[in-house]
Amino acid sequence: MASRFWADTESEEEEEEITQSDDEGSEESATAPSGWVNKAKSYLKGAASDSDDSDTQGRTVKSTRERRNEEMLSTLEQIRNATKINDWVNIVDCFDKLNKQLEKVSRINDSNKVPTTYIKALVLLEDFLAETFANKEAKKKMSSSNAKALNSMKQKLKKNNKQYEELITNYRANPVDDEESESEDEEEPDMSDDGVDDVIEYPSDEDREKDGEDEDDEGERKGDWVKSQSKKDKQMDKQFMKDPSEITWEDVDKKFKDIIAARGKKGTGRVEQVEQLTFLTRVAKTPAQKLEILFSVISAQFDVNPSLLGHMPVGMWKRCVANMLLVLDTLNQYPNIVVDDTVDMDEKETKRGVDHKGPIRVWGNLVAFLERLDSEFFKSLQCTDPYTKDYIERLRDEPLFMVVAQNVQDYLERIGDFKSAAKVALRRIELVYYKPQEVYDAMCKLAEQNTGEEGDLEGEVQELSRGPPEFVKIPEIVPRKPTFPESSRDLMDVLVSLVYKYGDERTKARAMLCDIYHHAIFDEYPVARDLLLMSHLQDGIQLMDIASQILFNRAMAQLGLCAFRAGLINEAHGCLTELYQSGRVKELLAQGVSQSRYHEKTPEQEKLERRRQMPYHMHINLELLEATHLICAVLIEVPGMASPAYDRRKPVNKTFRRLLEISERQAFVGPPENVRDHVMAATRALTRGDYQKCFDTIAKLDTWKLLRNKDQVLDMLKTKIKEEALRTYLLTYSTCYESLSLDQLTSMFDLPEGRLHSLVSKMIMLEELHASWDQPTRCVVFHNVEQTRLHGLLFQMADKLSVLVESNERAYEASTGGTLEGLPRRRGENQETGVGGGPQGRWQENFVASQGRGRFGYSGRVGGTGGGYQKGTRGGFGSSRYQDAAQGGRVGGRTGSRGGQVDGAPRMVNLNRGIRA
Amino acid sequence: MASTHDLTWKVAPQLDRHLVFPLLEFLQERQLYNDEEILKAKIELLSETNMVDYAMDIHKSLYHTDQVPQEMIDRRVEVVARLKSLEESAAPLISFLQNAALVQELRPDKQYNIQMLNERYQIGADQIEALYQYAKFQFECGNYSGAADYLYQYRALCTNPERSLSALWGKLAAEVLMQNWDIALEELNRLKEIIDSKNFASPLTQLQNRIWLMHWSLFIFFNHENGRNGIVDLFFHDRYLNAIQTNAHHLLRYLATAVVVNKRRRNVLKDLIKVIQQEQYCYKDPITEFLECLYVNYDFEGAQTKLRECEQVILNDPFLGKRVEEGNFVTVPLRDEFLENARLFIFETYCRIHQCIDISTLAEKMNMSYDEAERFIVNLVRSSKLDAKIDSVSGTLVMSTNHINVHEQIIESLKNLNMRTYMLAKNIVEPAQAAAQASAAAR
Repeated sequence: MASRFWADTESEEEEEEITQSDDEGSEESATAPSGWVNKAKSYLKGAASDSDDSDTQGRTVKSTRERRNEEMLSTLEQIRNATKINDWVNIVDCFDKLNKQLEKVSRINDSNKVPTTYIKALVLLEDFLAETFANKEAKKKMSSSNAKALNSMKQKLKKNNKQYEELITNYRANPVDDEESESEDEEEPDMSDDGVDDVIEYPSDEDREKDGEDEDDEGERKGDWVKSQSKKDKQMDKQFMKDPSEITWEDVDKKFKDIIAARGKKGTGRVEQVEQLTFLTRVAKTPAQKLEILFSVISAQFDVNPSLLGHMPVGMWKRCVANMLLVLDTLNQYPNIVVDDTVDMDEKETKRGVDHKGPIRVWGNLVAFLERLDSEFFKSLQCTDPYTKDYIERLRDEPLFMVVAQNVQDYLERIGDFKSAAKVALRRIELVYYKPQEVYDAMCKLAEQNTGEEGDLEGEVQELSRGPPEFVKIPEIVPRKPTFPESSRDLMDVLVSLVYKYGDERTKARAMLCDIYHHAIFDEYPVARDLLLMSHLQDGIQLMDIASQILFNRAMAQLGLCAFRAGLINEAHGCLTELYQSGRVKELLAQGVSQSRYHEKTPEQEKLERRRQMPYHMHINLELLEATHLICAVLIEVPGMASPAYDRRKPVNKTFRRLLEISERQAFVGPPENVRDHVMAATRALTRGDYQKCFDTIAKLDTWKLLRNKDQVLDMLKTKIKEEALRTYLLTYSTCYESLSLDQLTSMFDLPEGRLHSLVSKMIMLEELHASWDQPTRCVVFHNVEQTRLHGLLFQMADKLSVLVESNERAYEASTGGTLEGLPRRRGENQETGVGGGPQGRWQENFVASQGRGRFGYSGRVGGTGGGYQKGTRGGFGSSRYQDAAQGGRVGGRTGSRGGQVDGAPRMVNLNRGIRA
Repeated sequence: MASTHDLTWKVAPQLDRHLVFPLLEFLQERQLYNDEEILKAKIELLSETNMVDYAMDIHKSLYHTDQVPQEMIDRRVEVVARLKSLEESAAPLISFLQNAALVQELRPDKQYNIQMLNERYQIGADQIEALYQYAKFQFECGNYSGAADYLYQYRALCTNPERSLSALWGKLAAEVLMQNWDIALEELNRLKEIIDSKNFASPLTQLQNRIWLMHWSLFIFFNHENGRNGIVDLFFHDRYLNAIQTNAHHLLRYLATAVVVNKRRRNVLKDLIKVIQQEQYCYKDPITEFLECLYVNYDFEGAQTKLRECEQVILNDPFLGKRVEEGNFVTVPLRDEFLENARLFIFETYCRIHQCIDISTLAEKMNMSYDEAERFIVNLVRSSKLDAKIDSVSGTLVMSTNHINVHEQIIESLKNLNMRTYMLAKNIVEPAQAAAQASAAAR
């Protein structure tokens, strides 16, 4: 009976209570409050005399409840008084108050049990109402307001009492009023609440045991209550310290279940629950049970922080790490214990002791815990201000996580669960992939040093679990220090290959992206590029989750930087240009929230975005990125702009063109301040063919100091600038010269002769320059191929016509499904050859250029934001991705068909510019 | 060092054991490595095959003894025993197949054949399997022609697609080793079809199969008369090009050579250069570098030096450096062709960007004497491949620059639009008319 009494629902309790109260004689209801106060006093006294470690919080909670009950009683009293003077207005007020109080009380009690006080009030009112209605004389005498209140009271009561009909009849059958039942009534929910409310679940438990003994002795029982109350806080220690041998597996199990049942309930102290459970782990009888409880401890620790935005307290996190290690120790010590979260466990499974042969299954999911641990770590970094010491302190905890992850992975590999091991490996990859070798080395060093610190942690844990010695001693088996291979590449290789072998789609894709990123920071552009192209990630990235898209963007940005460092301007431009197309690079890389004027975000969106942010130490320097992007654009665009109007090609980088236009429209040009200004100044110099000034301006940017091989990169840049300056010069002034000698050009641009020759030859071959070499005299002879504007226009028309025909054909194909017979060339083939470099053929160039171009006015350009792009795509991560990525040149049919239609517009703009020029 | 550019070590793992022999023979002949090393390698190769006698011979010549290690003798006994047993089990089927009259009864329908054999001659699946084993054993022993025949017949009877595929590989290897290029080419195409159409367990196996196929095909393509086209077509096939780029970069050498030598496949040159550029970080040799110098950097000096290296590479390559003896001369036809074409490439490119060239420099650039160069140019001019004149006094070649008329260009670019639109209109109108007629007729 006793256990049912505690464990079962409250309604049952109610009934019981009423039957119990049956025995007690009835007393004057008015004494009830005083009786209650007495009771409370005795409790308070007990608490006060308690030892120092009694929980203050427990007491405050107590008094709130007390207050509520007192309030209720006083309201009852008021009603009673009002009935005496027949003041219905007052009664109505009191009734409303009573109802409100009822709500509060039940909220505190966390039950739907209705206090007897309330029922009493109801009965009282009902009787009085009947009485009043019976007495017609009195009714007539009433004031109008009073009569009105009476009527409304009648309605309300009728409605209200329906809910409590049964209780009322019960009450009428045995009107309970005496002190005993009252105190019982108050005390009992109190008790059961305590278990839920604060640390002390144990008294109830003890009671239960005692209950079994002296069930029939009511008087003694009451004494017990008081005693148990007074001991409260020491209970858990004392109870077990007295005779540890008496505690059985069942005891622990029961208590464990009780605590678990309270989880998540309103008013359950999360921190306290953790402590309770931690205590239980110490008294656990079998390793399996200990493990089971440990799992609960860990999940309770995760529960401590309920909000999605905030993070778990750091101390708690560390303790959680320690617990994880303990779990792993246990698992290593007892290899027959199997952790599983799929099957329902046998209740008694954990009872099997150390000597049990054969597998013992324990419910739990190591990987889920680990992932949670990781995301908590991530979140805590997100939330911490990166400029504070806290952030650095927090970062130092990384090795701790690495240890756990490594051990979990080892364990999983040992038991052959490679799928989960792959997940863990991914988590480890994600901690390593963004680290250059220097940072990696630092991390290894930190891990080495950390031993001392970890000792502290251990000590802390020890202190926490003061008290009785553990029943199940688990020696430290798993290493407490992470081991790192010499170079991060080795580590990555090991982890990544594990993931590739066993991971699921998403895990693999993420690992691949991390791999690409890592290769990119290690200046292995070709490897990274091949990985990207071979994995076809850019095709499917739109379909993936946003976090992976961000990772993809980061990888692309890093790839671009890598290509730039290697001197591959076109490739770098290809990687970076799309990031900048929308002007929302911050958002795309999740490195800060960019605000757009044209596109208001809802708070939810903002919240979501905040949750996606990268911690500061993982950021890619935006200035460097912007500088890289713009310089690539300069090197590509400037010669393009210099070529004669009629065969001027489409602008490759519209962002840059727009910026340039803005800067050209400025009346006064001040000295350059930010990256953009510098690049614009450099552009102006380059347009004039002044390579030296161009280079000087660019070299002044202080973001270059972030590069490891700064000098090399700047040298490369200088050569590139010289080359492009030469091209620009030739394209601009070729019409003015009949011939130019090789020597002159060499001295002008300070380029080696061979290089210069090859550059000019290339231009001749590609028909950018209408000229040829005269070998005996060593000079370039320009042919003046006069092309009138009419010719230029005709060429453009021809181009456009072919676009028109092509789109007609496509339309035909789309409607009939078949291909047009008898036509010489097919686009489909172009698309297939994907791996090849550069956009293939005219066709795709057209589409790339016209793709994604919204119709927005010039106003959109001021902020450099381009609000028109991809309007309506949530977050915008989706549509701007690299489907025609770096070298892919792969434009799907989807964009193709759209391209044809929008194509006219940009061309027209082009045309106008041509005329102006 | 002449062996710097040797690819044997890269190629060999993708070949069958037996196919490596010709390569080793070649290397031995070229004296690229120590004789001893090669002989050891040969023994190593033979250890897994059944050609024990041959291995013994090599062993003797390597160590200059008459003694043969015991394990070789043991192995020989074993091999002979196994040969006997296989011969026995395959005997009924073989005797059936050797009777031409009986073979006539076989029909293209496999199921029918099997049934028929089973009913009339008591030849069941076991015997057919034995035939396969026997053929394989024959191949291992070096009896390629026998193996090829049996495998051919086995394929007619075999129902297991996996087995059929490996039989095909065996047949191909046997034909290659017997130097029956025509048949080998047929087998190659058959194999290619199967590989392309078959559903492999993983794309990786398919890739591996393609790579094998390409390696094996090298034997055929550089020996078959039409191989030059074949190799370009096969290797430039998207999937095969991908395979090269993924896992067999060294094949670019053969592809590049084939493209240079092949006059009819000049249109793929651009694609080839793109690929070479993309893969240059993981594979380059003089041949690819030559093309890069010429078409990417327009560095004629560099191309010149590379060309000289190319010659060595070709001579030392087992596939490219095939020798033909004509009377007293030993020539390497491919080398001559390559050099000639490469020169032409240089010359062409050079002429395109110049309007006036000093012939002596040109001669130097093309590795020729002045007179040779002049003759070369005159021939070109006469055959109107080159629009230029020689200024004999100053010793220069003067190009006559002619730029395409703008009008011509425009007309050119618009010409085919007309046809395409016409086709389009026709395609749209015709069905409509047909439908109209049909409805009219129905009425």
